Amino acid sequence: MALIAVIDDDPDIIDASSIVLKSKGHSIISATNPNDGYKIVVENKPDLIILDVMMDEPDDGFYLAQKFRREKINTPILMYTSISKAVGMDFNKSEMVPVDDFVEKPITPDQLISKVEALLNKKKENV
Amino acid sequence: MSVEIKENNILIVDDEKGIRVATQLLLEDEGYNVISADCGEKGIEIGASKEFDIAIIDLKMPDVEGIEVLSNIKSNFPNTICFITTAFASYDTAIEATRKGAFGYIPKPFTPEELIYNIEQGLKQRNLLLEAERLRKEKEEKLLEIANEKSRLSTIIKTINDGVLVINLNGQLSYFNYAALRYLNISDFKIGDKILDKMPEQIINLYQKITSAEKFLIKTFTTQIDILPNNELCIEAALTPIANPDGSLAGVVIILSNITQFKKIELIKSQFVSMVAHELKTPLSAVQGFLNIILDDSLKLNEEKKKEYLQRSLIRLKSLCDLVNDLLDISRMEIKSKQREIVDVIINDVIDSTVNFLEIELKKKKISVDKNIQESLPPIKADYNEISRIFINLLSNAIKYNKDEGAIYITSHQENNFIIIKIRDTGIGIKPEEKEKLFNEFYRAKNEKTRNISGTGLGLSIVKKIVESYFGKIEVDSVYGYGTTITIKLPIN
Repeated sequence: MALIAVIDDDPDIIDASSIVLKSKGHSIISATNPNDGYKIVVENKPDLIILDVMMDEPDDGFYLAQKFRREKINTPILMYTSISKAVGMDFNKSEMVPVDDFVEKPITPDQLISKVEALLNKKKENV
Repeated sequence: MSVEIKENNILIVDDEKGIRVATQLLLEDEGYNVISADCGEKGIEIGASKEFDIAIIDLKMPDVEGIEVLSNIKSNFPNTICFITTAFASYDTAIEATRKGAFGYIPKPFTPEELIYNIEQGLKQRNLLLEAERLRKEKEEKLLEIANEKSRLSTIIKTINDGVLVINLNGQLSYFNYAALRYLNISDFKIGDKILDKMPEQIINLYQKITSAEKFLIKTFTTQIDILPNNELCIEAALTPIANPDGSLAGVVIILSNITQFKKIELIKSQFVSMVAHELKTPLSAVQGFLNIILDDSLKLNEEKKKEYLQRSLIRLKSLCDLVNDLLDISRMEIKSKQREIVDVIINDVIDSTVNFLEIELKKKKISVDKNIQESLPPIKADYNEISRIFINLLSNAIKYNKDEGAIYITSHQENNFIIIKIRDTGIGIKPEEKEKLFNEFYRAKNEKTRNISGTGLGLSIVKKIVESYFGKIEVDSVYGYGTTITIKLPIN
């Protein structure tokens, strides 16, 4: 089972996601701002990061993801977004954003589990 | 026998009394208005006094020759028909008279029929002359009008804010105004210069599309061009083909409009929409997340947990509802600025009724309100609901972000032409770096102390909008951890 870091400024989202992931036997660490998020990742070296795009500032999630990659922290990142198609943003072209997958909120437990499993399996293959 | 009255005026110039009188009587009998002169000098004088239709002039007079009288009349009134009469008819004098402008030559003695026939012919000729002159004048006026119109149009086109230029089929500039060069950020061009290559690519492409089309179509093609980066200058170019008189393509008219402001507004609008979408979707996602895990039997949540998540969902839905109400307030305010109900508003009354309105919330947190207000402040001219909204939002914040059993201090006083209201709370305060963002739409200070306080992030931005729409000022002063003071200055007039 894996250690997953959930970084989102909405504690409700963290709790709901945690319950789903814990039911599959994963362990969860969480943070509600980019600074704490950076810290828990560096200190605990999780297997997967779930990161919200918009935290305090609209670009926070992007910046944090870029910071991880700059510092050679190549942990897979699943990015939560809550706006994209509605305002014409297409996050699926991930050239500028160094993340492994996107998922648009709201997300069902099944979706979350399958995305997470897929990324964890990919990580195992790479290793 | 009644005689038809004719409008025509005839002048007779003859020194021979018998002929003069007989001719006058004859013509008057025919219905003409006749004036006669008994010598050349008088003939010139009367002939110059007004325009006659016909002049009958004797060639040989003792003082002035008939030819001279003729020249005089003709120089003043070229359309007067002149006849020369003489007893000494000769080929030479006839030619001379005709050269000086005589219409006919009537040898004396003449019969009444001969005279009347000549006069009728003369009148026909005069009508032709008058008609010709009328047409000529009309034409001259039209030409003048066209010239005026042309210079007027060119002045209009030169001064309008839109850029206008015409490029012919050779890619040469055949007409332009200065706005066009300004928008295209080019200079030093004159008519006839090859300009197509200097155009932005989008314009060249559309120009080629129009000029290479097989069929001539009156259709306008538009394109938007960023002349300067970062939305500093953005224009819309509209290209329309123009035709020669034979219907073939002559060139392309390009109208350039400055749409920089529209672009900026569009950007602000789409940013606002994306912010609203995000703010609406966030609580919905949380609620959906909770409901999903409550309904998922495989997660095996106990009743207590389920209840907790339903409670939390309810809180999120309540805040979502507040947000929708605030958004409605904003849109109402934007409409309202056009249809405000301006009345005398007494600030102290608004403060009192707002405190009453919030009594339940105040009691819940056991917060005391201490008012120190200057009595008999002058009223301000404003919309009551808008002023009330200011105090509801500010006092709600003073309660929400206060500590339990805290206090709110409200003071009001007049300073010159302003009413100054201060609302101080003993709450969590604001960090210095959060202060400048405080009035931004959807901004909420996020820290360990605000985590459990719900809000839309719109309250203060609404307050600021209202205060500024009345030319007032809002200031915030705070010590983090100890409380916040909001100062409102509203002009009395």
